[in-house]
Amino acid sequence: MSMMTGREYIESLRALNPEVYFFGQRIRSIVDEPMFQPHLHGAAMTYELAHHPEYEEIMTATSHLTGEKINRFTHVHHGIDDLVKKVRMMRLLGQKTGTCFQRCVGLDGLNAIYVTTYDIDQKYGTDYHERFKKYLLEVQKNDWMPAGAMTDARGDRGLRPSKQKHPDVYLHIKERLKDGIIVSGTKAHITGAINSHEIITMPTRTMTGEDKDYSVSFAVPVDTKGVTFVFSRQTNDTRRLDGVLDAGNPKYGIVGGEAVIIFRDVFVPWERVFMAGEYDFTTELVETFAGYHRSNYGGCKVGLADVVIGASSWIAEAHGIGKASHIVDKLTEMIAMAETCWSCTLACSYEGYRTPSGAYHINPLLANVTKLNITRMVYEWMRLAQDVAGGKIITLPSEKDLDNPESGKILEECFSGKDGFSPRDIIKMLRLVENMSVGAGLPEAMHGAGSPAAQKIMIERRSGIEKKIELAETIAGIRKDRDFETIVGKDEKMHWDEVRKKIEEGRAQIH
Amino acid sequence: MICPFDLLGSMFTIGLRYCGGCNPEIDRSKIVMDLREGLKKMGLEVDLTTEKERAVDMVLIVNGCKHACLEAKQVESDGGHPVVSVKGEMVDDQYVEEGDIVKILIHRICSLL
Repeated sequence: MSMMTGREYIESLRALNPEVYFFGQRIRSIVDEPMFQPHLHGAAMTYELAHHPEYEEIMTATSHLTGEKINRFTHVHHGIDDLVKKVRMMRLLGQKTGTCFQRCVGLDGLNAIYVTTYDIDQKYGTDYHERFKKYLLEVQKNDWMPAGAMTDARGDRGLRPSKQKHPDVYLHIKERLKDGIIVSGTKAHITGAINSHEIITMPTRTMTGEDKDYSVSFAVPVDTKGVTFVFSRQTNDTRRLDGVLDAGNPKYGIVGGEAVIIFRDVFVPWERVFMAGEYDFTTELVETFAGYHRSNYGGCKVGLADVVIGASSWIAEAHGIGKASHIVDKLTEMIAMAETCWSCTLACSYEGYRTPSGAYHINPLLANVTKLNITRMVYEWMRLAQDVAGGKIITLPSEKDLDNPESGKILEECFSGKDGFSPRDIIKMLRLVENMSVGAGLPEAMHGAGSPAAQKIMIERRSGIEKKIELAETIAGIRKDRDFETIVGKDEKMHWDEVRKKIEEGRAQIH
Repeated sequence: MICPFDLLGSMFTIGLRYCGGCNPEIDRSKIVMDLREGLKKMGLEVDLTTEKERAVDMVLIVNGCKHACLEAKQVESDGGHPVVSVKGEMVDDQYVEEGDIVKILIHRICSLL
């Protein structure tokens, strides 16, 4: 087994030949296309840091299958410590890239399928779990990055998958063969898809008997015949073609580089199929995946918050207002919100549990609370970052105008700040804040891993409201309070009768 | 459920261990109360004790949630007796609805005693 370095990961993609389209053209080399490079660098960080002694404690794990050291992104969590280290890894990578590093979706897919296939086999006597373990071994051995593909295109959201006008808006089984299945359909918004080695699919929602063929999970290499990717646009994405400065984060880009994946009569051999019709386990697979994935957001987005808080503080200092009380107050607000989200994700990891498969799962209620907070607080701390940075983040001239001898000098004077800060550095930092707070990162924080309504459904379902009603009834005296009766040494009614009597006797004495 | 014939007439002691009960998803006390009743109805003479010093035939761990603060290994010091662990709506490695926990427990206890 060998863990790839960042460079080795990028070079490993050259061996693959996925069918990728962008701007209406077929992209022949993923590695060399300038529009894709920031995303490759972001994902490469997940490989690179595993080789650094100062990060390997959280970036690597011991495989429960082989006992060998592996990249944590290919690991199935086997203890609370693993769950905690996973979110620590997310925060670290958010700090190192300032954006989405894409590899967590596949990690969560691996874990969710591991947990669910075990339970399917317990009920139906199938062998999905053993198949999946063999696949997982390959992932670990090759240090692959699988793209987790859950969200279907979905068409009319009011109709079930099997009732859609266009059947391919959901991925589904078209044919069952002796040696595998034929699938067709569309997955949308798939993070890191074009620069992954593999795709692992999962159903996007709870299915019913009539959606049996839509209850499907499998893995295929990205260059499988019949698989096509269409790379999605992002806010200001072509800035990366205009030079270095204007992109804001030219090294790692904005969010994850999402793509639509179209499956057209794709053959999947049985050994790579992990669910084929067991619709009664789609809820478990979806909820298990969502739980893992929602917990991540309290790690990665807080890592991003660390970067944007640093940038805001730096800009305030460069502008000569670093000590102003309203600036300190805003930065403190940002820190408090980020650490609140961090507390949530640590809590849902520490409160995790062992599933029947032996793998560990996070506390689903707390994971959903984590993500719901993220959908609000990322907007709020980015709003404060914009507030501190000032209107310049949306009115700065281009790098080309700074380089132009006719305008460059006066522009640099115009954008200078406190002594000791170079105007170019000030512009770099303002562009970074623009990139992080104005771009696609905000709706990604809202909808990635599921929209707020999805989190609220899970929170309501797992809140145990009946138990809370019992607590209130007990305190209010509607329900028997055994502990109180032990304290006072008698039945509650008798106790209050005696209290009333004493009060009346006392009053009689006073009067 | 029918009690195995060879258990009838014998007296068994089960060591009862509770987690701290901070935010339970099940009513731990009610489950133990119903279990006691259920075992009695089956004709089994079982003493459920929380006294840690007493010799027991098996250990029942009652955790309020799946996190299971009171892991089985924490009671291994009880002497390597068979252990059944309730972890919220799970009994050992099986997902169970709260209403079915007692039924599953009786089944496990009968198979382990």
